[in-house]
Amino acid sequence: MDILMQLLMSGIALGMIYAVIAFGYQSTFATSGTLNFGQGEALMLGAMVGLSLNGDVLGGPYMNYWLMIPLVLLFGALQGMLVEFVGVRPAIKSKSEFGWIMSTIALGIIFRNVAENIWGRDDLPFPSPLPTAPIHILGANVLPMELMVVVGALLMMLLVEVFNRRSIYGKAVVATASDRDAAGLMGINTSLVIMFSYALSSMSAAFAGVLIAPITLTGASMGAVLGLKAFAVAIIGGLTSGLGVIVGGVLLGIAETTTGFYLSTGYKDVPGLVLLLLVLAIKPSGLFGKTTIKKV
Amino acid sequence: MLEIHDLKAAYGQVQVLHGISLNVPQGQVVTLIGSNGAGKTTTMRAVSGMLRPSGGRIVLRGRDITGLPAHRIAKIGLAHSPEGRRVFPTQSVRDNLMLGAFTRLTLGGKRPRGDLQGDLGRALDLFPRLRERQNQLAGTLSGGEQQMLAMARALMLNPEVLLLDEPSMGLAPILVEEVFHIIGRLKAQGITMLLVEQFAAAALGVADYGYVLENGRIAVHGPAAQLRSDPKVQAAYLGGAASH
Repeated sequence: MDILMQLLMSGIALGMIYAVIAFGYQSTFATSGTLNFGQGEALMLGAMVGLSLNGDVLGGPYMNYWLMIPLVLLFGALQGMLVEFVGVRPAIKSKSEFGWIMSTIALGIIFRNVAENIWGRDDLPFPSPLPTAPIHILGANVLPMELMVVVGALLMMLLVEVFNRRSIYGKAVVATASDRDAAGLMGINTSLVIMFSYALSSMSAAFAGVLIAPITLTGASMGAVLGLKAFAVAIIGGLTSGLGVIVGGVLLGIAETTTGFYLSTGYKDVPGLVLLLLVLAIKPSGLFGKTTIKKV
Repeated sequence: MLEIHDLKAAYGQVQVLHGISLNVPQGQVVTLIGSNGAGKTTTMRAVSGMLRPSGGRIVLRGRDITGLPAHRIAKIGLAHSPEGRRVFPTQSVRDNLMLGAFTRLTLGGKRPRGDLQGDLGRALDLFPRLRERQNQLAGTLSGGEQQMLAMARALMLNPEVLLLDEPSMGLAPILVEEVFHIIGRLKAQGITMLLVEQFAAAALGVADYGYVLENGRIAVHGPAAQLRSDPKVQAAYLGGAASH
């Protein structure tokens, strides 16, 4: 029982990371119908920049973990804007249906290469800002950092939701997501909204990067698998549902930890992908995705 | 107020507007009538920036707005209630109205804020049904209510020129009457309007001036009263409209 609890807790922490990255996929998909396939690299860059500010890799540490977070968020936002401007805007403008897929993948590879050259190919340890002694919750050992992952992830998604519902700028983002042309008629600069959604998307990935870095290893290749699995989560949960990515993320996280323990760590990626295939076959809009009904 | 010179527009290779000119003077209601596919909605879309014109010139309040993106044209004071209503279905009626006032609420908005609460109150007075449904999601409204919302939302821009595209489309006869009654009230308030309508008789009844569009060209134009009594217009549009 304790072991099961342990696996559940670890699964939830891992799942929340997937959820935050998947949330980023949703954000750009909603406003522009495009996705940043370099989300994993955005996460990695966030973690590497965080490590450079907070760790001793590039002559640091320059500041503590908590001061570093806002700077990493800012970096993530700028990086997302760059991806939008270089990779996505031209594709949207030329009405190229799939151009953005290649360009965001290409930018992701470029970012990974740049990171390998700056920080090397080896994984580096990330200093933990919280005590590393586990706390006991319901019979399971939970790292304080794992709690921080869950709280931070939920907090970020909550803040974005409040922004979308309460502020006029957030309402403009939602309006752009539901009808870009009509939003333009309201005086909303929809290209700017799309750029903003890319900033938000990479910012969430960078945030996920600094949340997860202290409990894993940090390196140029850390993002690839995370980005892919978070994409599976976005599909499982539904590309339009905020609740869906949380449920989808936690489902996948728990599926991985339990398979890893009861079956074999070699198979831990299988159940999530089987789940993905099942969802695609049975409910392609995702567990929580809505099939849009248009009233004429 | 709004001048259109030799406007041309195309969807891909298909040219829809072959150079039309029309003029909407301040404080007047001008209507554009014509059969399906004549290019009425295309004209509206080209004026508001939803569609980039392929030729010609559009001048709003003395400024050349040809080819500007829609959001910049809105900031100069043009509101467009588009064909098919296009309300934001996942947001409340109130949020839809606030989005209509986006250019007055935001930093780069460029439209004076003015009496926002007063305008909201007046819009809801004009459409009492919306007042009852302020907190309802726009997607759950009936077709007629969505049309009212689209018009109210456009009014929230406090526009210099209001474009209304087929405000009566798909509505029950009693609601069509109500929509035209409201257009009459807006006219009495001095709002400059360009109105596209299938119900040509009703449109010419409320308008000061009318243009008849045929296959992307202006066929006839003149004061609304004159068009109403024009035998050719009567035969082609007024009799036809009644049978719909």
